[in-house]
Order: sequence, then C-alpha cells, then structure tokens
Amino acid sequence: MASTNCWRCLARPTQRLLGPASIIPSVTPASITASITAAFSTSALLAAAPAKSSETGMSRHIRIGKKLVLGKKKKPTEKKKSPAAGERKAFRKRITLSNDNAIEVRGLPEFTAERVVDLESAGLVTKIPVELVDQLRACEAFKASQNWKLFRSPHMLIREETVELAKQMTEAVDKKETLRMVITGDRGSGKSILGLQALATGFMNKWIVINIPEGLELTTAITDYSQVPNSDLFAHPTYTIKLMQAIYATNLPILSQHRVQKDHLHLPIAVSRGMPLSSMLNQSKEPEFAWPILQAFWQELLLPGRPPVLFSLDGLAHVMRVSEYRSPSFELIHSHDLGLVRLFTDALGGKTAFPNGGVVLGVTSKGNAPLLPSMDLALVQAAAEQAKREAPEAAADIEVPERDPFYRRYDDRVFDALKGVRVFHVQGLSRPEARALMEYWAASGIVRLRIDEKTVTEKWTIAGAGIIGEMERSALYDIRL
Amino acid sequence: MSRINPWGAVRSLALRTPPWSSPRSGRIAAQGACISPISPRRGLADDTTFTRPPYPGHHYDGMSPPSPPPDTELELPAIDRESMVETWAPNFLNAEALAALEEAGTAQVTYDDTEGLKFERPERPGQHAQLQDRYHPVVDQVTKMLMQDGKLSKAQRHMSFILNYLRTTSPKPNPLRPLVPGSPPVEQLPMNPLAYLTAAIDSVAPLIRIRGLKGAAGGGQALELPEPLPVRARRRIAIQWIIDVVERKRSSGSGRTQFATRFGQEILAVVEGRSVVWERRALAHKQGTAARANLNHPAVAPRKKL
Repeated sequence: MASTNCWRCLARPTQRLLGPASIIPSVTPASITASITAAFSTSALLAAAPAKSSETGMSRHIRIGKKLVLGKKKKPTEKKKSPAAGERKAFRKRITLSNDNAIEVRGLPEFTAERVVDLESAGLVTKIPVELVDQLRACEAFKASQNWKLFRSPHMLIREETVELAKQMTEAVDKKETLRMVITGDRGSGKSILGLQALATGFMNKWIVINIPEGLELTTAITDYSQVPNSDLFAHPTYTIKLMQAIYATNLPILSQHRVQKDHLHLPIAVSRGMPLSSMLNQSKEPEFAWPILQAFWQELLLPGRPPVLFSLDGLAHVMRVSEYRSPSFELIHSHDLGLVRLFTDALGGKTAFPNGGVVLGVTSKGNAPLLPSMDLALVQAAAEQAKREAPEAAADIEVPERDPFYRRYDDRVFDALKGVRVFHVQGLSRPEARALMEYWAASGIVRLRIDEKTVTEKWTIAGAGIIGEMERSALYDIRL
Repeated sequence: MSRINPWGAVRSLALRTPPWSSPRSGRIAAQGACISPISPRRGLADDTTFTRPPYPGHHYDGMSPPSPPPDTELELPAIDRESMVETWAPNFLNAEALAALEEAGTAQVTYDDTEGLKFERPERPGQHAQLQDRYHPVVDQVTKMLMQDGKLSKAQRHMSFILNYLRTTSPKPNPLRPLVPGSPPVEQLPMNPLAYLTAAIDSVAPLIRIRGLKGAAGGGQALELPEPLPVRARRRIAIQWIIDVVERKRSSGSGRTQFATRFGQEILAVVEGRSVVWERRALAHKQGTAARANLNHPAVAPRKKL
C-alpha cells in the first residue's frame, strides 16, 4: 500500500488544505483523517487543481480556463419561416387537372348529354369540355386523391353504370318526378367519379346543380356554425356563403334567365320581384345573412316552371350520425339538425316536392367513413324493397332484413331520411371498359406497356375484378416501371 | 529474342481434319457408333479420338435414324461386313438418343412439353427475374433508404408519389451541370421518371471516397487514401446526400404527398443544377484529388522489385 506521506521530505499532506472543510472537521486529529481517506484516491488532487492553475509559473500542459463540458453542444437553431395560414391545407387540397409532359390523346369524343345516355358509348373514354371542367371545378367535384394531374387534359370513361345512372336521372326528370338515389359500392370502385359524371350530366342538360363536396366538412366541427333564431336548426354561415357562390358560378346562365316570383320581405337584403334569380345569390357576402337567403333561394327553385334540380352530396355517412357540434346546452347536435344537412335529408327522404323534376344523389364513401349500423341496414332494406318493386312476381321470395332486436342504438332519423331511396351499387369495370381505359393510359404515355389481352386481364384480375381504384394503383402507382 | 523458340517445331506439325464430314456431325456420328447412349455427356466431350463413320458415302446428320444403305451389296462390295457389324454396328437407336442429348444441350425442345397441360407451359423465371429482382435496382435502393421503422410499404408509397411528381415537372437543362453521360436529354426525362431519378442520382454520385489508413501518416494521424467506389455504393452516398437535404427542407404542405413533393423538388433541383448536393460531390472529388499523392506513401505504395 502506498504511503500517504511525501516520499521526499517525509512531510504529511494536510488534509485540511486538500479536502473541503465541511467534510473534515478541524478538530479531527490528523491520524484519524488519514485513515478515513482512501490512500489511492485522486479526487482530492483533482479538486485542488483549479486552485493551482491560478498560480503563475505552472507547467504548460495544464490549460487555464478550459472546463470539461459533458453532453452535446446545442447548435443555434436557424429560425425557419413557418408556412402561412392555410398554405399547408391549400397544398393538400390543390387540384391539378393537366400535365404538360403527358402526351395529348387526340381523336377522343367529347362528353355530351346525348352520349351519356347512349348504351353504345359504354366503354368510351371521353374528353370533358372546357366549360364543363370549369363548372365541375367550381362545384369541387374533382378531388385531390384522383389522378387528374397525370394526364394532359381531363378525360373520363363512360361505363355501363354511367349510362344506367344517366338514363334513370333523365327519365325521372322528363316525367317531372324525383329520383332519390344513394350510390354505394366497394372501396375504390368509382363512386365519386360516378357522382361527378352525374353532375356533368346535370350541367349538360342545363339543370340547376347544387353539390356539397364533402359531408364531413359539415359535421366534424371544422366549419363555423351558429344557431338559427326561432328554430331548432343550426346554420353554417361561412360554408353557406361559399356554397352560394359555387351555385352562382356554376349555374349563372340558367339562373339569370329566371326571375324572382315571391316576396321575401323577411330577408335582410332587398329582393324584389322580377330580379334575376342569380342576383339573390351574389347580393350579399355577409355570413349572417347566408342561411335565410339560401332558404329563400331554395323556395324559389321549387316553384313550378323552374328548371330541374340536381342536389348531390358526397360522403353520405358523415351526415347520417350525431355531429361533433354542441348546442348551447352542450349537447351534441344531430347532423339532421344542421340547416344544410336538413335541406339535403328532407330532399333525400322525399319530404321535399320537386314540381319540375329533380335528382337527389347521396354518394357514400368508403375512405374514412364511420361505421353506421342504421345507415347500412336502411340501405339494405331500401335495396330489398327496390328489388321487390322491380320484380313483383318474385316479391314473395325477397326478404327485407329486419332490425336486430338486441341493438338499441338505431337512429330513426336515418331510417326516415333513407326511406324509399333507390340504391345504386357500383362494381368493377368490365374487361372491354378496362381495356379502353388502359389504352387511354398508354396513349397518354403514363403506362408503358403493350396493352393486349394479357396485360388487361392481369391488371383487371389484380384489381379484384376491375375495381378501378385498384387498377390505378397497380398501373399508375407502380414502381416496377 | 528468347533463345528457345518453340514455333519452329510447331510450324512443322500438320493438323488434318477428316475431309468427309463437318466437325460436329462427324463427332456425333462417330460417337454414336461406338459409345453407348447411357454414357455421360462429359465422357463424350473428353473423347478426342476420331473414328470412321459406319460406311463411306453415308453421312449421318444426327437428326433422324439413318436410312439403311439402299443397295448395300452393290455399293459396299469392298468392305468386310462381318468386321463392320462388330465394330461399327449402325445402331441408330444409340444415335437417336445421342442426338436427343445433343439437342437438349443446345436447348432445343425435343419432347412434347404441352402434354398433360391445360394451358401452355409458363416460362421459367430467368436468373434475374426472381421475386427479389422485381424492382429496378435504383428504385429498390432509394425505397429501402427512404424506409423508416421497417415500414417498406409506406416507403414504396412515397416512391410511387415521387415518380408521379417527376412525371409532372419539366426541368430546364443547365449547361454548367451536365448530367451523367448516356442519360436521355433533359426534355425527355419527365416521360420516363425512372430514367429521371437514375440520371439525377448518378450525376451527383461521387466516384471515390476517402479511406483513412490508421496511424500511417505518422503522429497518430490517419493516412487519407482515395478509393474507387462500386456503382451501388456510389448511388448510396448520393441518395444519402439528397435525403439529408430533403430532411432539412421546410415542409410547405401537408398530406400524403408532402414528403414525396419535397424529395421530388430536390431531384428536380439536382437535374437543374441548383442543388447543394453538387457542391458536396465537388468537395468529395477535390479531397480525393488532394489525397491522390498519398498513394505514393511507403505504407501503401507497391514495393519496387529489385
């Protein structure tokens, strides 16, 4: 064991000088202190080092003023400009309808009102006319998740389902009836595109088209709302203004031909008889006035002698449940107590009479859709009743499903809203349609494959018998280039 | 001039080929005659001895059983037939089997492969047509490097969005930063996003890296030596540089295409010559050029032969 004594001069180190005074009381004899301190400990020397360094004439290897820093140094962070308000959402929602690098496909026919009701044109890829593109864009029928941005100009495939739907719509309107329809189908089967084609049919036939692009925006408490005075309803002031502007932009040529026929004395704006119907929509940009004006406009639309109305809503499931808004008593508001939704559900449930003929279209969505046993059952029941109506001789064999007696959370308002609707079930493409679509993709230079029986069958099969969204995934989003 | 010249002796050798048959069919005919069909092919090839065909004038082509000589009595009067049967038995069955073997060797189908099959026989995947080779090497490498937490599917989704972003951009060529030789013209790149991505990555990929030889420079310092990189490693470094830039970039959007857009913008910047990755490449090459002198250092230089 090494001695604590100095080996040169035999002097003993003074513990009081080296260690902190609080640890070693001054009264302790030196012999006891020496026995407490470990003989090989260097901590005392280390602790003493700073005191030595202040002295002059020290050896060179001890650097003065340098301390050990443990842990990483924090770099001064560069202040980056954060995105402006709404910039990120604008990026997410941006709709691009053309790609200058894609090859232009010439010689394809245009989408017209006659073509869409002709069964001969099923399996035809058609060009959307420029005016129609503007109208569809204004009513937000295009969605960011669809693949319009890959192609030179917007084209769409007329499927058998499109022709069938357009026929049903035009026949009902010609007879001045109301077609109340819900489009259902698998995920990615083209329900929203079919809704878009219905809107296009409406525009082409010069109907008045009102489109609510996302039911979700009305019920998930992302839009401002307010209580309507003297009523149990709630309105979406800002959203309603936007909707009115969209209706104005898309239907101006038709609306300007019709005149206001009623007195709207209760309105906060001056609306006189004989002024164009369109000016009702753009007279005020005040959100507070929006809901009463829209109601008055709706009443005007339903007068006899007006053009037919197409009212469409995408994302039906979101408006068929209790919303996330709260009433002043902090209770959740049912979606059907929201003014705009009530307008739609009354029309869909058959409570609104369309004397000039009308189409009410609810499009379901399978992406981010809530599970709603009430809506599912109501749609299955409606489909069964429709089958009974279409085949009266076999009606006895068709069974309308009953409610589950052990489930108590059925929503009667949903059943009322979906009573007697027609259910239009969308399935996969047929192979000739798939081939036409893939030939269009190849002609645009997006798909670099020879389009023959084998490729078409391969993609069609991979896509679960022609589910169009899956075909796009396997062809347009392929990294096997 | 060396003292021993073998060519003089070799020149006097004469190599004589049999005049009556082409080398290949002659070999088959000869072997067909004397070797049993079950003998392995390797043995056939090793047989360098040459033997006569069954009878002169007849040349067996190896494809069909030899027709018997039309008039053996008249045409072959001079040949001792007894000995010919023993040593040169014209066993066309053997020849047929050997011909089949030969055909199999040249990958010609000799059997009816559709027998018992309802549809035509599918082709066997080739050597690089396996499951693991289904993506292009560059796409595969970038995808794997984009992957976080083992979520390959998500990385593939990013990759497809990146390629579709590249489709929609039109880069302007920059004469100061030419792309790697052999890449298509810049105007044509958007139509082929894979070529676009490959050209961008290969253009900024460094050709060398600096390897430190520990302690060889003296004083505990590493001796820096430039080292050539194989293609895959080159691309890996370039992709890593690009990913570094992308991660530092400010996100201007949100949603599922947000990352892909940032990555695609950087690829576009590389092709247009605006990217800082070009500087990193230039720096790496500069360091490599400077370290080139170290290759003559005694620690690494090849020793001179005495």
